[in-house]
Amino acid sequence: MIKLITFERLLESYKPLIAIPVVITIIALILIATMGLNQGIELKGGTVAVVQLEKPISQNELQSLISTGLPNQTVDVKSVNNNQATVDIVGDTDVVKLSSILEGTGTITSYKSVGAVLSSESLTQIYYALAFAFIFMSITVFIIFRNFVPSMAVILAALSDIIIAVGGMSLFGIPLSIASVGALLMLIGYSVDTDILLTTRILKRKEGTVTERAIEAMKTGLTMAAAAIGSMAALYLVVVFLIPAAQTLADIAAVLIIGLIADVLATWLMNLGILRWYTEARK
Amino acid sequence: MKLKEFFKDKRVILLIVLVIASIGAISVLGIQQGLDLKGGSTIQLQLEKPVDTATMNTVTAVLDKRLNIFGVKDVKVYPSGNQNVIIEIAGVQPEDVAKIVGSNGKFEAKINNQTALVGSDITQVKTYQVTGTEWQVPFTVSLEGANRFAQVGKGQAGVPVEMYLDDQLITSPELSAELANGNPSTDVMISGTEATKEEAQTQAKSIHTLLQSGALPVKVKIVGVSSVSAELGDQFINGALIAGVLALLVISAIIIIRYRNPLLVIPIMLTSIAELILILGTAAVIHWNIDLAAIAGILAAIGTGVDDQIIITDEVLKGFKDKKKRSGVRKQIKGAFFIIFAAAGTLIAAMLPLAYIGFSRGATGIGVLSGFAFTTVLGVLIGIFITRPVYAKFIEMMLDTRK
Repeated sequence: MIKLITFERLLESYKPLIAIPVVITIIALILIATMGLNQGIELKGGTVAVVQLEKPISQNELQSLISTGLPNQTVDVKSVNNNQATVDIVGDTDVVKLSSILEGTGTITSYKSVGAVLSSESLTQIYYALAFAFIFMSITVFIIFRNFVPSMAVILAALSDIIIAVGGMSLFGIPLSIASVGALLMLIGYSVDTDILLTTRILKRKEGTVTERAIEAMKTGLTMAAAAIGSMAALYLVVVFLIPAAQTLADIAAVLIIGLIADVLATWLMNLGILRWYTEARK
Repeated sequence: MKLKEFFKDKRVILLIVLVIASIGAISVLGIQQGLDLKGGSTIQLQLEKPVDTATMNTVTAVLDKRLNIFGVKDVKVYPSGNQNVIIEIAGVQPEDVAKIVGSNGKFEAKINNQTALVGSDITQVKTYQVTGTEWQVPFTVSLEGANRFAQVGKGQAGVPVEMYLDDQLITSPELSAELANGNPSTDVMISGTEATKEEAQTQAKSIHTLLQSGALPVKVKIVGVSSVSAELGDQFINGALIAGVLALLVISAIIIIRYRNPLLVIPIMLTSIAELILILGTAAVIHWNIDLAAIAGILAAIGTGVDDQIIITDEVLKGFKDKKKRSGVRKQIKGAFFIIFAAAGTLIAAMLPLAYIGFSRGATGIGVLSGFAFTTVLGVLIGIFITRPVYAKFIEMMLDTRK
């Protein structure tokens, strides 16, 4: 019980705790501003090819083989694993030429090439999709709670999750791609779950103190977060070790893991903090 | 509550019926796999400017014809919005695809083995007409083309005009007398008579497409190629299955640690599996393609499902602990469903823009994610209306320790 009591005391001093997720969010913003975001091939245009290797070859050997064949292009051999290599090439690539360069070394099993036209269109669509998803989510939250401060607390927590997730992408070099945007959208939905749980339990339940209700909600919420983070970690490990060709799935999992960890902080330090402040001010 | 009572509940019966129907649908209709799972190529083309529906139909008809002439089987050509065309081909390697679509169609008309017209001579192809069993395809040619045609065709009335597309002989109508007099004419027409009206219609349409293939109404360029071999597609499916099983194991471990009750794992697993079967069953019935994006959507839906089940479990546990009365437990479950519906509402709201982009713009750019959005929304709806109420009933029965 000692542990729980100190924890309760910790929860009583909620105001300074709000600062933790806020500071991390600001750090994430600084990271994004200074380091920028890698853009995936879909967004900057170029080619991703997965090559089934017919003979053992090192990453460097393959890199120089392709670079020699395509002298004017930036070639990046991403990984060589289980006789499979993933290659990124910037700029328009002639797939016929690429396959002739690789003759005797390997065959192309997957090939994806995106021209500059499509990439600039995708970028616009990404901003629209993210902006509208966030706006629609916010409207839904306002409809659910019909109460300004608690609704704003939920929305701010979701915003902080997304900013921290994007900061994590910047830090770990996860490219902004159509798939990682999917992950960010999924995060908007996922992260709001625990915030709604918390807000409902605090505002609608009457029994027990606010701290007791918060701890109950936290038990449920942390189990939910553990289940989600655990599943994503499983997906991440399977992709990295078994199907490196499905790198995009690993990127999705990584973005979600960062975002869900951020959500634990944003929900239980920031959202809870604001709610407590609000309930006390209302008294 | 007893097991018998549980199986008499309307929602439970509905779930059981739907699961059986889904298994039936999946085994009879099968699940359509996306090209990224079964192997194949997708080529995205962009027209130089947005076009109307009629022009778009011409472009897709021409591309379809050319691919067929090259003997490419299982090809689907369809518009995506008003400026993009998507070509899907099962099991072709990207180099073949790029070769076919990357070059312009080569149209040639020869009389006595002399080239009379080439694709670039044709300036406009007009709408074809069919009267009874007779058909006509009028078109205009450039002055240069008209001169060459007049020269080559002079005095050749009744001689076949051999028309080639990409060096393959497609048709050879006879040269009419009025075009064989040596006077150049920019308004030309190919006509013929078939046995039936339907054949005349088909022939006219085919010639119409053929003439246009040399000169597509707008310039087309390849903006994206993506190709996945069948082997890699299998790897993706296996990977997704392994990841799914591992994720369920992780979730089971967390449930056991949290509730110290291994039995609780069973309903959570069964509910997740029921949701998977229902989503796949719906996909089979509406012929929805299951591709990688859709698999991600299924994972997302089942993931939120597990979240909801944890919420329900906690509410029921609390209900029994505090009140020990069924009415109290029911009230707790109601509270849980308020949270569940609210959470589902926000998730669906967040997915709407993506679904909108996908349906209005087609599968170009971020539109590939519309499959993800649609599957997530479908899974969430199935979850909140069908499977989760049954889970709540089951948990209520299972945790009810009162005799």
